Amino acid sequence: MDFVIETKELTKVYKSEGKDVLAVDHLNLNVEGGSILGLLGPNGAGKTTFIMMLTGLTLPTSGTAKVLGYDIIKESREIRKKVGLLPEGFGFYDHLTAPQNLDYIAALNDIPKAERVKRIDEALSLVGLQDVKDRKVGGFSRGMKQRLGIAQALLKNPELLIFDEPTVGLDPEGSRAFKDLVLRLNKDGKTVILSTHLLFEVGPLCHSIVVMNRGKAVVQGRVRELMEKLMAEEGYRIRIEGKGNLGTFADALRGLKEVKEIKLEDRGILLKAISDISLQIGRMASNYGVEVSTLRVEEPTLEDLFMKYYRKEGISIG
Amino acid sequence: MANMFTVASKEFSDIVRGKRFLILVIVFGLMMTVAIASIYLRVIQAAQQAGGVAMPRGFLGLAAYNLITTMSYFAPILGLALGCDAISGEREKGTLKTTLVQPVFRDTIINGKFSGAFLSISLAIVIASLVGIVGSVLTLGITPTGEDVTRLFLFMLFSILFAMTYYGLAAFLSTVSKRTTQSVIISVMLWAVFTFVIPIVASLVAVSTISVSIRPFQNATRPFKNATSRQELQRYVEELRRQSAITESIQSIAPNYHFTRIAQYILQAYAGGIGARIGIGGAGQGLEGLRAASILQSLSFAWPNILVLTISTILTFIASYMVFTRQEIR
Repeated sequence: MDFVIETKELTKVYKSEGKDVLAVDHLNLNVEGGSILGLLGPNGAGKTTFIMMLTGLTLPTSGTAKVLGYDIIKESREIRKKVGLLPEGFGFYDHLTAPQNLDYIAALNDIPKAERVKRIDEALSLVGLQDVKDRKVGGFSRGMKQRLGIAQALLKNPELLIFDEPTVGLDPEGSRAFKDLVLRLNKDGKTVILSTHLLFEVGPLCHSIVVMNRGKAVVQGRVRELMEKLMAEEGYRIRIEGKGNLGTFADALRGLKEVKEIKLEDRGILLKAISDISLQIGRMASNYGVEVSTLRVEEPTLEDLFMKYYRKEGISIG
Repeated sequence: MANMFTVASKEFSDIVRGKRFLILVIVFGLMMTVAIASIYLRVIQAAQQAGGVAMPRGFLGLAAYNLITTMSYFAPILGLALGCDAISGEREKGTLKTTLVQPVFRDTIINGKFSGAFLSISLAIVIASLVGIVGSVLTLGITPTGEDVTRLFLFMLFSILFAMTYYGLAAFLSTVSKRTTQSVIISVMLWAVFTFVIPIVASLVAVSTISVSIRPFQNATRPFKNATSRQELQRYVEELRRQSAITESIQSIAPNYHFTRIAQYILQAYAGGIGARIGIGGAGQGLEGLRAASILQSLSFAWPNILVLTISTILTFIASYMVFTRQEIR
C-alpha cells in the first residue's frame, strides 16, 4: 500500500515559560494516497504542530517522518514543492490584488511566468474569486481571504493538500463549495488532509480519521472500519415502532439473552443487542399482538463515533 | 537565487510604493531645501559684509555641513522605519507563514529582505542627497569637479552604510520581538540613546573625570587673563585633549559618531570656504589639518570608522539570520 505520509514516534516538545510542553506525543501514522483524512481534535490537541512538522516548518524533537517519500528534516523544501498547505493564521498582502498575491507565491514556487496567468486564473475560478480579482485583498471579507488561501494551496498543482481549519470564516455556501471542491480534488487523485476542531463540518467527507488529544492519536483508522468496530463494541441498535401493548412486548424482549439495553420511547422501542435479532423480534411481535410498522437496525453515525471517543477523552465538542 | 530576487524585488516594490517611504523622502527633501535656502541667505549677507569672498566654492562648505547634519538624522530614521517591522510585521499579518509554506529557505527570505531594504535605502538616500547637492549647485551655478562628484558619491555610499546599520539593528529587534510595537519602541529608544544620550553622557563623564585648571576664554576682551605661564596654557590644552579623548571613546559606542567622522573626513575639503570663515562650517571643526587631503587620504583616515559601521551592519545581519532561521513556526 502506498502511503503519502508515514510517521514513526514523531514527537515535539516545546519550551513555554521555562516548562516543557508535549505538543505531539510519539505519533505513529500512515496516510494512504488518494484518500481524504480528517485530522480531528480540540484546539491545542497538537494538530497544527503536527502539520508544521510535516512541512518542515518546525523540527521534531524525536522520531521520524516521510511525506511523499521525502524526509521531513532533510528534504523539507521538496515537500513544500509538492504539498499545498493552507496554514492556520495565514495572511496576504492587503495592498495587492488576489492575482498579484498569487503571482508572488507562484514566483516562489518557480512556476514559469508564461504559465502563471493560466494557473492563477484556474485557482481563482476554483475558489470562486474570479469576479473580484481586480480588488485589493485588504477589502476582502474573512471568507474571501480564506478562499484565497485555498487558491494559493492549489496553485502549485500539489499531490497532497493539507488544509488547517479550512472552513473557519466561510459562510454556509462557502463551506458547501469547499466540501465540493475537496471531493473534486480527491476524485482527481489528490490526497487531502482536513485538520479541524469542527468535526461535524468535514467529518462526513473523510475516508479515514485521526482523532488527536493532548498530542496523541486517540483514534485512527478508516471510517468504515471504525464504525464496524463501534457496532461490535456498542451493539446493534434496533428501532421498533408499531401499535399494541409495547410495554409488555418490551418486557418480553428484555428477557432475551442477546439484548443488552432496552428503552421504551413515545412511539416505540429502542434496544441494543449483541447481534442482529430483527427477525426474532418480528416473530415475537405477532405473539404479543403488536402490529409492527417499523423494524430497522440503525447503524451508528459519525457523531456517535466522535461522541464515544471524545467523551472518553473528556473533550468538549466544538 | 531566483527566489531571493523574488523576495528582494517584492520588498523593494512594497517599500518604495508605501506611504512611509514617500513621507520620509518628502520630509527630508523639504528639510534639505529649507536648509539650503536659509544658508544661502546667510551666505549672501556674509558675502556682502566680507567682500571679495569666493562665493561658489565657499558655499559648498556650508552645503556639506548641511548635508552631514541632515543625513545624520535622516539615515537612522530611514533605517529604523524600514527595519522595525521587517519580520514582526509579516508575522503579525500572517504573510510570513504564507511565504514560509512555499518551497523557500528561510535564509532566502532574510537575504531578500535585506537586499530589498538595501535598494530602497539607497534610492532614498540618493534622492535626499541629490536634492541637497543639486539644489546647492543650481542655486549658485557651481560646476562640480570630478573630485566633488567622487566625494559626494562616497558620502552617499557611507550614508547608505550608516542607514543599513540602523536597518540591521531594527530588523534584528523585529526578528526577536513578538510584536512590531515592541521593536519600534526599543529601536526608537536605542536611536535616542545613540543620538542624544551618549553625547551628553560622554561630555559629563569627560568633564567630571578631567577637571580644567584654568579658563583662558572667560573674558572676551582679555582672553588669557588667568594664564600665568606658558606651562599652564600647555596644561590647559592637554586637559582639553584628554577630555576630548574621553568624549570620543564613549561616543564611539554609537554608530552616529562613526558616520559623522567618516562624513567629516570625506567632505572636509569643502570646510575651508566661507562656512569656516563665518563660523558655520561645523563639518570641519577639529579637523583643519585635513583640508588639503586627497580622496585616498580621506578614506585612509576614515577607514577605522568605516570598518566599525561595516562590522556592526554585518553583525546585526548575522544575528537576525541566526535567530530567524532557528525560530519555531506554530
